[in-house]
Amino acid sequence: MKESVIRALLFDFFEGNTTSIQRKLIEEWLAEPQNEELYYRYLDEWESQHPQFTPDADRALAHFQAALNGNAEEPCQNTSWEPTANTSRKPWVWVAAAAAIAALGSFVFQKQIRYKSLESEPGRTVSYRLSEGTEVLLNSNSTLLVPRFGFSGKTREVYLDGEAEFKVTHTRDNDRFVVKMADDYQIEVLGTEFVAFSRARGKRVFLKNGKVKLQLPEGKQVYMKPGNLFVSGRNGAFEMTAPDDPRPYTAWKEQTFYFDNTLLSDVALQIEEQFDTRVRIPDTLLAQRRIGGIYKAEQADDLLQILSELMEIEIIQKDDHIELTIPKLP
Amino acid sequence: MTAFPLNDFDDFPAHSQDNPDRTLPAGIVSDDEWLLRSQFSENPEKGCELLFRRYYVNLCNHAIRFVHSREVAEDIVSEIFTAFWQNKTFLQVNMSYRAYLYKSVRHRAYNYLKWQMRFIPPADAPVHASDSPNPDEALQYSELHQRIEHIVRELPAQCRRAYLLKRVEGKKYEEVAEEMKISPKAVEALVSRALSRLRKELSAHWVLFITLFFC
Repeated sequence: MKESVIRALLFDFFEGNTTSIQRKLIEEWLAEPQNEELYYRYLDEWESQHPQFTPDADRALAHFQAALNGNAEEPCQNTSWEPTANTSRKPWVWVAAAAAIAALGSFVFQKQIRYKSLESEPGRTVSYRLSEGTEVLLNSNSTLLVPRFGFSGKTREVYLDGEAEFKVTHTRDNDRFVVKMADDYQIEVLGTEFVAFSRARGKRVFLKNGKVKLQLPEGKQVYMKPGNLFVSGRNGAFEMTAPDDPRPYTAWKEQTFYFDNTLLSDVALQIEEQFDTRVRIPDTLLAQRRIGGIYKAEQADDLLQILSELMEIEIIQKDDHIELTIPKLP
Repeated sequence: MTAFPLNDFDDFPAHSQDNPDRTLPAGIVSDDEWLLRSQFSENPEKGCELLFRRYYVNLCNHAIRFVHSREVAEDIVSEIFTAFWQNKTFLQVNMSYRAYLYKSVRHRAYNYLKWQMRFIPPADAPVHASDSPNPDEALQYSELHQRIEHIVRELPAQCRRAYLLKRVEGKKYEEVAEEMKISPKAVEALVSRALSRLRKELSAHWVLFITLFFC
């Protein structure tokens, strides 16, 4: 087949304007291995002629160059924690940003460029190995922001929303590893193992090995020793204990729930966090019942099934949530 | 921002060690990349930069056809280039850089889509797409983004508008609401309706797609 013919044919195909007979023709043509190269050449040509949007290539290139040089990027100037989820990328933001840079004379990187987010789906834990060797096991329904082009500078900073276990590697230069959490909590370590929990209802850190410094809101600091458990309270209060049994804080790693005289309302919260399934208990007396034991559950249903049998409760699937009630006697 | 677990990525396998049969004769490499190749052998850093300048925009434009989000499209392409440099992939590719990059974009975009649509592949499906040349695969990807386009085009006007503003342009619900003069709740409902439509209509497509790729 002539090159000009196949080019026209492929362009039609990329547009979705080919007949099934023409498709067959292309498929046969593609069976020749060297034609695959041509296919991508024409695909590239077609993409150049049919732009969909204008990516900010200059900015992306600047970051790629930084990665190429293994260069240290400027340290993050903003200390407050902001979720990047919905940050607008309209051009005017960048104009405003440029103005701000000129005014301040300093370069403020936007977090969504410098960081990429690692996420876990409801009901699934995911493990990651960061570029410098630190291992992270992300509990389900959690997000970790890590620098897109590797760590640079003196501190290794990540942002956690949700729950994760960290095995931080000790670097040769003793670089600090910092886990930033919402509401001005942050964990600073050199090389340790710990489990961090950071959701709207509170913060919790369980230290397995090594030493940890916690930065609390309003500039307070505390140090943790191995085996210590830190739980945040209201208005910046907190509690530091040394629990005998670490299992309640690490059970999620085996997709297990560990309850010890736990309120059913708490159980509902944990299900919501783990599986992103809303559970409501309209009956306040039922919500205050307690439960103990270790249960393996890979889905919300697994645990709900166990609960319904143990506590003789009824599980009702509503539109967007699940309701737990005491069955009415016939 | 929606990203996705890294370990779910399978870039197009570049290494030829486990499959020596795959190495193509040198003559296959398109001559228009000859200059780039020689640049890579002299100064890989400069070569990477040239490659980036040449393909970044086109690759983003290709990626967005699948993922329908500017931000995700740019992220995917940036990650591919970073990995290309950090893993020294350029030493291993046995096809043109262009083909490698386009294939990687397609695989990553597909993985993202799979994740985004909460599509869970059957447990026995192998993680890696087949390494052998598959003429149909190249076509299937094009048909996948056409299908997505078709589904979105068929959405009710309001629903499509909300979806495009929220997803593609990455605006906040409040911003979309203001622009469309409806409540943020209504925007949320429209967007989720669009997504569930996509999910539903693609799921039939997935089955076909998966059978062709993984079986």
